[in-house]
Amino acid sequence: MDAQRLRDSFSRVNMFGDEVPLFFYSDLFIRHPEVRDLFPISMRSQRDHLVGALAQIVSSVDRADELTPFLQGLGRDHRKFGALTEHYDAIGDSLLTTVAHFCGDGWSAELAADWADAYSLISSVMIAAARRDEALRPAVWSGTVVGCDPRSFDISVLQVKPEPRLDFLPGQSVAVESPRRPRLWRYYSVANAPREDGTLEFHIRLIDGGAVSMALTQGQSVGDEVRMGPPVGVLTLDVTSGRDILMVAGSTGLAPLKAIIEHVAMLPAPPQVHLFFGARTADGLYDLPSLDKLAAEYDWLTVTPSVSADSRHRGETGSLPDVVTRHGSWSTRDVYLAGPTELVHETTTRLTSAGTPRNQIHVEDFGWSEP
Amino acid sequence: MTVAWHEDQKRLTPKEIQEISFPVSRLGRRGYDEDHVRAFLRQVEQEIVTLLNEKVSLWNEVERLRRRIISGMKSGTEGVLFGKEDAHVHAVRILSNAQLTADRYVADAQAYSHRLTEEARSRRDEILAQAQEHADMVLEEASARAREAAIEALNSPSPASPQTETDRNALRAELAYLRAFGEVYRTHLRAYTEGMLRSIDEWEQREARSLEQTSLEAAGLTDFGRARELR
Repeated sequence: MDAQRLRDSFSRVNMFGDEVPLFFYSDLFIRHPEVRDLFPISMRSQRDHLVGALAQIVSSVDRADELTPFLQGLGRDHRKFGALTEHYDAIGDSLLTTVAHFCGDGWSAELAADWADAYSLISSVMIAAARRDEALRPAVWSGTVVGCDPRSFDISVLQVKPEPRLDFLPGQSVAVESPRRPRLWRYYSVANAPREDGTLEFHIRLIDGGAVSMALTQGQSVGDEVRMGPPVGVLTLDVTSGRDILMVAGSTGLAPLKAIIEHVAMLPAPPQVHLFFGARTADGLYDLPSLDKLAAEYDWLTVTPSVSADSRHRGETGSLPDVVTRHGSWSTRDVYLAGPTELVHETTTRLTSAGTPRNQIHVEDFGWSEP
Repeated sequence: MTVAWHEDQKRLTPKEIQEISFPVSRLGRRGYDEDHVRAFLRQVEQEIVTLLNEKVSLWNEVERLRRRIISGMKSGTEGVLFGKEDAHVHAVRILSNAQLTADRYVADAQAYSHRLTEEARSRRDEILAQAQEHADMVLEEASARAREAAIEALNSPSPASPQTETDRNALRAELAYLRAFGEVYRTHLRAYTEGMLRSIDEWEQREARSLEQTSLEAAGLTDFGRARELR
């Protein structure tokens, strides 16, 4: 396989933009109509994902050390979408047809061999990773909504019982799919440490125009079914550091941090934890009663709520990074951050410039998937 | 090898138009209405997508005909103008167009629901701010009244040296008046607050209903289409 020749042909094909994935999926669905069911109605973001993944694969096709973990992740990740080993051949056929089509006169026997070799390498790594994963855990967990608690007009707290039991680390997330939005998966953090009855708590905020959050906040009721993927995420408690902890949660970013607080509570000698919980207005502080209860129960826990867009509010007001830095320097603490991207970014910048080493700051890394 | 239109990588793409953001003009300087600019950009994006699609299908057709001619020359016959392979490419094109239409339906529904929720949210904030303002006003007026009453009570003769029966009666009357007054204000405030809460509830329900409707239409695209045909 000539990696450079492969890359050149890909960049030539890629100039046709959206037409390329469009052709690919249409070709696939005409030859294998049964595969269409594995995809959502709108294929817009699906096509972007495909091109993004292909670009990454093609650029590192001759660097196995880089490519292999990426492909293994993809292979495992595709299990929850219902991808089966036999689908891989169908996809390979359509991929080669698509590249050939857009290469036009530039298509040759050597190029065909390059692409066939590359694809068989890609698919074998993905299939092997999926098989290994199959031995460890189910592709999806079905879940029943056992509690549904609307906290404000746009925030709901759901309790879901998965079947079978779903093991995870406090702070991790799972992908959730509602039957009302088939084939659309969104990641949500579990807001608790593992419980005896195995239930998971999700804090869901209605995103304007958000298809899945709308299905999960509006008209959701006890007894409804959802599906969940395996737990993912790196925002988990570092039990070895021994440092005290600063937590900053914006809105439903509280979920993973609450799970980590429950984890801290299980330690023999819990460190001091100071949690700042911020929202635009007071009714966005949707979980304050339960946090107050925790703070009353644990003497190592301090909770400071703050509100950014209501100057009448009695209590802390201002932007969350301001409020946090106003309360002192936190350079000796481990920091756990979650919330809207800008908030996480801004808080990280402020804390590092105030002396907190970057490696003491823990944030979720959603770089590999759609949040 | 055909040199195609697409080889210039510096060209503007629909995605770039979709994602562009302009800096806000400085205070005191006039700028365009943001909503109008956005709406126009959406239109431009749609137009470019359409043009790109047309261009690619023309390119496909040219390629197809070119190949036909070459294979005809090689085999010495004129060849068929529309073979089995062409039929497949044709089918792919038809399905692609159907998919793009579906994508557009979903995107439109999503944009509509986005606008709706955004409006509902700002309307809700408005109602709450109004209620708060009104409550402040009522409170202020009530406390001003109370202050006046207190000053009046101080200035009036002490009850330790009671004056005439009429004075006492007047004080009693005043007290009764203030009590009634306070009650009126409380009732007033309660009625107003309840009214506000009711209107927020109603707004929420209406919002939920219409959001549900929109998303159902988006999700059940095929059913929706069928239902419209039946009508």
